[in-house]
Amino acid sequence: MTDPTASTGSLLLRVDDLHVEIAGRDRTVHALDGVSLDLAPGEALGIVGESGCGKTMTALSVLGLLPGGGRITGGSIDFGGTDLATAVEPVLRGVRGNSIGMVFQDPLTSLNPTMTIGAQVAEPLLLHKGLGKAEAWQRAEEMLRLVGLPTPGERLKNYPHQLSGGMRQRVAIAMALICEPQLLIADEPTTALDVTTQAQILELIDDLRSRLGMALILVTHDLGVIARRVDRVAVMYAGKTVERAGVRTLFAAPRHRYTQALFAALPERAADESQPLATIPGLPPSLVTRPAGCRFAPRCGFATGECRETEPALSEVVPPLPAASRNGDSAPAPGPRTAPHGPATGDTPEGRAGAARRGAHAFACFHPVDPAVDPIAEVVPAAPAAPPSRADETLLALTDVTKDYPLHSNPFALRGRSAAAVVSAVAGVSLTVRRGETFGIVGESGCGKSTLGRLVVGMEEPTRGTVRFADRDIAALDRRALRAHRREVQLMFQDSYASMDPRMRVGAILREPLVIQGIGDRAGQNARIAGLLDDVGLPRGAVDRYPHEFSGGQRQRLGLARALALSPSLVVADEPVSALDVSVQAQILNLMRDLQREKGLAYLFISHDLAVVRHLADTVGVMYLGKLVETGPAASVFDAPLHPYTRGLLDTAEQPDPAAEAAGAPLGGETPSAAHPPSGCRFRTRCPAAQEICARIEPAPAEPAAPGHRVACHFPLVAAAGR
Amino acid sequence: MIRFLIKRTAQAAVVLLLVSVIVFVLLHQLPGGPARAILGPKATPQAVEHFNHQQGYDRSLPLQYVQYLGRLLTGDLGESYKLNQTVSSLLSDRLPKTLVLTGLAIALAAVLAIPLGILQAVRRGRAADYLLTGLAFLAYATPVFFLGLVLILVFSQRLQLFPAEAPQADTVGGILGDLPGLVLPVVTMALGVIAAFSRYMRSAVLDNLGEEYVRTARAKGQSSARIMARHVLRNALIPLATLLGLYLPTLFSGALVVESMFNYPGMGLLFWNAAQGSDFPVLLGVTLVVGVATVIGSLITDIAYAVLDPRIRSVS
Repeated sequence: MTDPTASTGSLLLRVDDLHVEIAGRDRTVHALDGVSLDLAPGEALGIVGESGCGKTMTALSVLGLLPGGGRITGGSIDFGGTDLATAVEPVLRGVRGNSIGMVFQDPLTSLNPTMTIGAQVAEPLLLHKGLGKAEAWQRAEEMLRLVGLPTPGERLKNYPHQLSGGMRQRVAIAMALICEPQLLIADEPTTALDVTTQAQILELIDDLRSRLGMALILVTHDLGVIARRVDRVAVMYAGKTVERAGVRTLFAAPRHRYTQALFAALPERAADESQPLATIPGLPPSLVTRPAGCRFAPRCGFATGECRETEPALSEVVPPLPAASRNGDSAPAPGPRTAPHGPATGDTPEGRAGAARRGAHAFACFHPVDPAVDPIAEVVPAAPAAPPSRADETLLALTDVTKDYPLHSNPFALRGRSAAAVVSAVAGVSLTVRRGETFGIVGESGCGKSTLGRLVVGMEEPTRGTVRFADRDIAALDRRALRAHRREVQLMFQDSYASMDPRMRVGAILREPLVIQGIGDRAGQNARIAGLLDDVGLPRGAVDRYPHEFSGGQRQRLGLARALALSPSLVVADEPVSALDVSVQAQILNLMRDLQREKGLAYLFISHDLAVVRHLADTVGVMYLGKLVETGPAASVFDAPLHPYTRGLLDTAEQPDPAAEAAGAPLGGETPSAAHPPSGCRFRTRCPAAQEICARIEPAPAEPAAPGHRVACHFPLVAAAGR
Repeated sequence: MIRFLIKRTAQAAVVLLLVSVIVFVLLHQLPGGPARAILGPKATPQAVEHFNHQQGYDRSLPLQYVQYLGRLLTGDLGESYKLNQTVSSLLSDRLPKTLVLTGLAIALAAVLAIPLGILQAVRRGRAADYLLTGLAFLAYATPVFFLGLVLILVFSQRLQLFPAEAPQADTVGGILGDLPGLVLPVVTMALGVIAAFSRYMRSAVLDNLGEEYVRTARAKGQSSARIMARHVLRNALIPLATLLGLYLPTLFSGALVVESMFNYPGMGLLFWNAAQGSDFPVLLGVTLVVGVATVIGSLITDIAYAVLDPRIRSVS
């Protein structure tokens, strides 16, 4: 593993066998346990892995920004001849923000709320470049213009809360790049953002990288994000680098069993929507102890005794060339395409000695995937799917449902006087959900999809329109009938932990709905709880434990168990998997699907993630600014969208495929404020096909292509839909 | 910002009107009415009636309130039964002196508590933090009168560093000219406040040090000291602004004990003496002033919030 040339040569950064420990109150976590990676000037490296694998710790150690109690216990971080692992604070301060810039995940919390944008962006210049305030602010303005902030001169005096999430992330990028660093480290820079904003930010980083000739480390859990944005990828698992390769090689032919399983769990890679997703059983190991052998062995279907005792070293593939070509697909040979050097270097273009060695495919696995065999098919044998049992009976019908919220809450305002100032979170939505089907609602944040979910459950009353469930108007129900109705419709939340009382045991949490509805005696309830835990795949002993003792995926199972406690016929699932890692997400999606078939459940599945909705939903509704712009069978909506917004969303979503064509027309701009929606068609301000009529007349829903596929657009994409 | 201030001031005026109603009602709830309080239990019913008529107490309550309010607006708070002076002249003489005392106490508290809180947060879990935490709890738990006595015993009687009596000058300038005399009363008032403020400051700084914007500032290459000064301080002062507003009326009441203990010629001492002699117009005048102080305290909080936190400014 050690570089025989030993010198940094043309490398910008070289992390070698890095070890990091984080000392807590009563235990020490070995967060990093042998991480090695390198980066040439101008090159882009992706670090992927699930939460807790150490990818963020790797990024933070490079800048010496480890959290309290954290320290580097071994290895080196060579950056331009300086070992940052052992450097003293003043040296590190000279590097931070100057030659290495960093962008963090959450643009809301990573900016100082009480400092102006200008002061924050100019700060590194004052520190590192010795500029005066006036000059620094002028440079800050130029930088804000470069990152695409409209009217940057005015924005300088704004505070972070006055900008949208996407704009804040642009500011954070401006801040990281103001001193023109040689390396930008971006830690999940788009995870907190919407799909369309994500695409814009990634595009911006790409563009600035080539313009400023800097190197990039992109840390993410999202394989879609790195697919088309980096040259090489390092896959991390449990504090170690387990695989390293050029991005095309890795995506076409992963060799480590973990990487392979990670890909297989992606809903985008699911062979067939009717098949369950491949999952990775179990959980990543605790890093408090340093397990012997391969750390993935306990979850790996191919592990042998050797894997459990001996730790596989990260070693390179001996013949690098035939690996991909044997694969039979269109993946190019790893040589030229994965050459690690970006346009900025070019000293050793496709030099065999240096570049080929560094670009080589390395992995730490005793039983690697044989690229000759289709890697995905052999992961976990998929259980044969039972045919979905779906009646044509309408379970839920929303007719022209509108929900208004007052814009300003003023206790002294006279009722009705401020009626003009309202936000229509949901503005005239009609849809029907049949018994036993999954209706997916897709849309970006603020489109009203969560409000719609609350209206269906009866937690909110519609301002106008009716919500009918099993042919009864919910608004007309009296208290007793409403309570009975609540049995039928249950909620599943994104953050199950926040939605459970942390001081209640699991048994009590699951019993509560039964007690409220007066179902069964104590023994009957106990039997029901045991049955629920069986259903969601948790041990029965879980009843005596507290929510915090469970992992994210297990909590989501609990959330599902609680939703199912009353045997509802409809479960409203609001982003149930968006806080989960890919492998765990696949487990929950499979579980939801199995239980649906078993119990004839209907789901109203709300998500921003197109791939997840596509995998699970029978029918899809696309929401934009409180309006349902398109509904129809999932296959028609995704394969032949009629609304330009749907088309744009699909084009904008990051495909986990480096060979994917660059998106046709990614959506530009930002969603306008729901308080002042555009006249006519609400999407017209971002629509490539918008004409004068769109501003005047709101398009009525129609079915121009096929019955059951409704779209509200003056110029539906019927031709494009394959007529 | 201007609109915000106008709005808040208008709200404060409403609250003050309510305070005046309460004070007015209290004035009329005195056992036997003010006549009995002044003329004494042995006065004849005729004398009481005559007094009531003379003072206008036999008219309808709303009318009396309007007249009371009218007098209030012209600054007429009635006359002291005992001191042969108008209440307003008494208050205008005494209030500035109390303001000097509380102002100095708050200034001392802020000057000491903010750095102490920062020090504790930076040295969290180390000896300095534990020591200061212990001292803060001790100071916070000690009643003001006991603290005052201990300070007098140690610094005045034993060490003879400072006089046990506060400055007795007639003017504010004269009082400020006698700084040694001010030391013990101001310190007595300030110690508990320092304890409370430093605890709040400590936790506010700790909260902010854990925020991600601090990590961003470090990633820019900023030093710890400058992160504290440029980034954390302002954010950490926001919760302290609430505390300051809450403490202002408390300090006014605390002045009562301290002023009578050190014989300081402020409003507290005036109230104390008036209470001893059932001098109701004075008592109610002081009550009104404390009510005003409470309202002003929350107004100051709101303004401080708006100055410190741009998010509040744009919402309002």
